[in-house]
Amino acid sequence: MTLLISLTIAVIFGSGAYLLLKRDLIRVITGMILLGNAANLFIMAAGLRQGSAPIVPSDRDLSDPLVQAMTLTAIVISFGVATLVLSVVYRVYDSHHSVDLRRLGSAEAVQASLDDQLSPKERGARAEAEESTESEPATDGAVGRVRP
Amino acid sequence: MTIALPLVILWFGALIVALLDGTRKPVGYFSVIVLAGALAATSVLGVDVYRNGTREMAIGGWDPGVGIALRVDLLGIVFAVVSLVVLLTALWFEVSRDVKARIFPALVLFMGLGLTGLFFTGDAFNFYVFFEISMVAAYVMASYGETPRQLRAALIFIVVNLLGSVLFLVGIAAIYHNTGWLDMKRVATQMPLLHENPAILTATIVFVAFSIKLGLFPFHFWLPAVYTGTRPAVAAILSGALANIGTYGLIRFGADIFPRELQAGAPILIALGAISIVYGGIQAIARHTPNEVLAYSAIGQVGYILIALSIGGEAGYAAAIVYAVVNALNKALLFLAASLRGWIAGAAFAIGAFSVAGVPPAGGFFGKMAVFQTSLDDNQPWIVALVFVGGALSFVYMFQLYRARFWVNEEADEATTRGALGPVVVIALAIVTIGVFPEPLLALAQQASALLPERAP
Repeated sequence: MTLLISLTIAVIFGSGAYLLLKRDLIRVITGMILLGNAANLFIMAAGLRQGSAPIVPSDRDLSDPLVQAMTLTAIVISFGVATLVLSVVYRVYDSHHSVDLRRLGSAEAVQASLDDQLSPKERGARAEAEESTESEPATDGAVGRVRP
Repeated sequence: MTIALPLVILWFGALIVALLDGTRKPVGYFSVIVLAGALAATSVLGVDVYRNGTREMAIGGWDPGVGIALRVDLLGIVFAVVSLVVLLTALWFEVSRDVKARIFPALVLFMGLGLTGLFFTGDAFNFYVFFEISMVAAYVMASYGETPRQLRAALIFIVVNLLGSVLFLVGIAAIYHNTGWLDMKRVATQMPLLHENPAILTATIVFVAFSIKLGLFPFHFWLPAVYTGTRPAVAAILSGALANIGTYGLIRFGADIFPRELQAGAPILIALGAISIVYGGIQAIARHTPNEVLAYSAIGQVGYILIALSIGGEAGYAAAIVYAVVNALNKALLFLAASLRGWIAGAAFAIGAFSVAGVPPAGGFFGKMAVFQTSLDDNQPWIVALVFVGGALSFVYMFQLYRARFWVNEEADEATTRGALGPVVVIALAIVTIGVFPEPLLALAQQASALLPERAP
């Protein structure tokens, strides 16, 4: 039984880690959710082995209620965070018109080279402009759309 | 006074502010006042803890040992006060400029709640819950501003840190499985009875989880992208307040629960710290934009904390605490000041730069000196040399940045609003005060580390 549970957790965790390394953001999120669930299973599997179950009266054979409470809390947290991440992914899709990490990476690279090419004075001036208008330079948003 | 008071203030304050429109000035200043109230309550509690020793309380009126414990000792209080100070200055800074999103003040309060709860809790699983509260606030905060770049930064931040959280959760499950306890004090007493292998494995998982939060060398890759993309107030919060989770976690779990494993792993940890210092310093010199330089500087600075912690003993832990406190204030000051213009901001930035480089009269001098002293006592001359090299590197990159930021286009002064200078000046004065009167902080760190278990000879 222990082996079976360990293998299940290992497979779920492995799949999650594999998906996490994908370029498609939806797969990355799926991978994160799988990782979270692997952790939840791990907590269940980590149920009490030392001492007696933390419940009164503990004279009968009881399963450990504490791991279940912990897993429940962890499920709620990972559920909430998953929702949050999906909304961030949607915002990224909204502004870049893509959920491909290569696209996002090239947008970042263009941004970085913009930062580097500017002389200190221009950079200062642009920083001022960014501060005052709070708008990203036009190139940044457009890159994801125009460039392959 | 009940020890839950700061938590109660922050919780209700955050709930109220979350319902209001945070972009309006009165709401912004109301949240500043709530945060200041929580800071005052924490400080009063701190004085009480300093005089009468560790305070404990079981939530919900359960017997001690059955109910989940809130346990406030000096270590937790020191970190809670510093984190709240950083949050307060960053929020004040942002409110006096202009809050861009209605949820921002509430997020800062929620993060304050998460951090304070995490420093106050005596229960490993509650530690995780509070940790997630502050992390979720940070996830939303990282995308604050909502430009494409900030969204990308937020995405990286969430994915990497969520992985860290999952690892930490696994670590806690492993602790529970191995010891049968979640109460940190009991766990600490059970740990030495454990066989070495599971203990080392658990300690490693927890170490990796906190290192990801902290941005130590092999786990640092997310940090520059995130800090470069976000707004100054958010960068100040992430590096000055949220990173305290990593430092506190390493000290609490490392020194308190896994002292044996910490000692066994010390050579590796010292090597990682050394690489962090050199790598962060050299990368920072090669960068141009302020946030990028400061991000790599942050990677370098945590190296000192790790080294002090791994050398260990009362002096080592005290050095780690002093360094962590000063470093949090430095980072908050530098991120905020670098976004302003004019001679006052320049002077404040220079104080922060001196502090990072470890030049008196700034507070950083005593942080560096504590690490220096510890490595001398431990008879490790090459660490002394390393601290010196790290200081020299930080001197170079901080003044490169100072020159690029404050010596060119002096004429562009109008962007600085007077109100935004207030928090920057206050935190700069705090750093100078620590530099001129270091005794209270040193004594506090000394006492806090005396509560941690002695390391085996």
